[in-house]
Amino acid sequence: MTYSVSFVLWLLGSAILAGFLGALLGVGGGIFIVPVMVLMFHLPIKIAVAASIVSVIATSNAGGSSYVDQRITNLRLAMFLEIATTIGALSGSVLALYLKEWAMMLLFAALLLYMGIMAFRGRKIDDKRIAAGDYANAKPDRLSAFLRLNGSYYDQAAQRTVDYVVTGSPFGSGICYFAGVASGLLGVGGGVIKVSAMNAHMNVPMKASVGTSKLMIGVTACVSSMLFFLAGLIHFYVVAPVAMGTTIGATAGTMIMNRLHSIFLKWLLALLMIYLSYGMLANALAMRFHIHLPHLG
Amino acid sequence: MGERPVAQLGRSSQHERVGNVADNVYADVYKVLLAGMVLSTTLFAIGVVLALLHPAYVPLSADWVRQQYHWKTFIHGFAKADPGAFMLLATILLILTPVSRVLVSIYVFYVDRDRKYVIVTGIVFLVMVLTVILSHFGLK
Repeated sequence: MTYSVSFVLWLLGSAILAGFLGALLGVGGGIFIVPVMVLMFHLPIKIAVAASIVSVIATSNAGGSSYVDQRITNLRLAMFLEIATTIGALSGSVLALYLKEWAMMLLFAALLLYMGIMAFRGRKIDDKRIAAGDYANAKPDRLSAFLRLNGSYYDQAAQRTVDYVVTGSPFGSGICYFAGVASGLLGVGGGVIKVSAMNAHMNVPMKASVGTSKLMIGVTACVSSMLFFLAGLIHFYVVAPVAMGTTIGATAGTMIMNRLHSIFLKWLLALLMIYLSYGMLANALAMRFHIHLPHLG
Repeated sequence: MGERPVAQLGRSSQHERVGNVADNVYADVYKVLLAGMVLSTTLFAIGVVLALLHPAYVPLSADWVRQQYHWKTFIHGFAKADPGAFMLLATILLILTPVSRVLVSIYVFYVDRDRKYVIVTGIVFLVMVLTVILSHFGLK
């Protein structure tokens, strides 16, 4: 690899976009960066996955600090769910060192498709529930009550403080375990799964889910990064522009996320996930079965 | 923006903490994340600029990456303003930021006598330590 200005600028530019979108959606950006590095720059997927995992920490620092400052993040909930995600990340990272590239891509594609469908199906619910004050009218489960997981934040788009009670904690932490596995296995922060778990199954509003996930993905990615680091897969020449770009993008994204309506965020999430899913599926099929699907731009 | 009166005052002992637990944790977590972000980004930027001033072929192999991990290579690289040394340090700082955040959270919960969350964050830290141990002995 020749370290040229164009290589750095392309990586930096795509990472800024990934960081920006990641901040809006509570994801690390790895799901956007890995395909770019693999499909556009033809970097080995394990180097790309490792770089994206480290960049997830960068975007988590940038986005997480801003959402913590704005009190959108639910710190207690984040710390509780981190138990499940870190254990999951450890399991996934071990698997990633032994799986074939095409299999990782196929899994990546399936995961993205699932995320996209989930986001599309629940696109209208959030804004309606905030307007009706539904998030505060729920009964917490025992664990949620014991750990005082309830929270609140000020929603700039709805122009009101949104109080919410966390429900379904055991089930939600189970899903977050698989989010951790996805992080370690596929090089993504598992952020979308965490956002979906909190929003769809734990009665946490979309924006609070995004802010909480943004903080959590840093710890999950950190666990995976340690493994990749010792395996010699974290190529810091690749990591540098990616981490810088995601930091810049995430900082910009956190400035506007709270001003947007949840339905917009969910539309965006669904579209991007399905598009990326197709790209990764096409790549996996070409690599393993020599089946060539049409390119979508 | 939320209020952070307690953390902004600074403190040296448990008795100086007068705000509620949530304020303390939010303020301290914010500081750790911000410090990690600023330090690592600065070092990455220095490394990238140095690398672009002297463009060279960089191997993509894991063996080459592992060679850079040695202390001698690392210190020698800094002495020669080697871009890789700056990027490596930035990467290490970046990876350690979430660990620091968890450790600071444990400390803040401990000082604020919130035992439940000392245990919760302590478990997270233990899993992280376990990961490093497994990596070192199982995957190297």
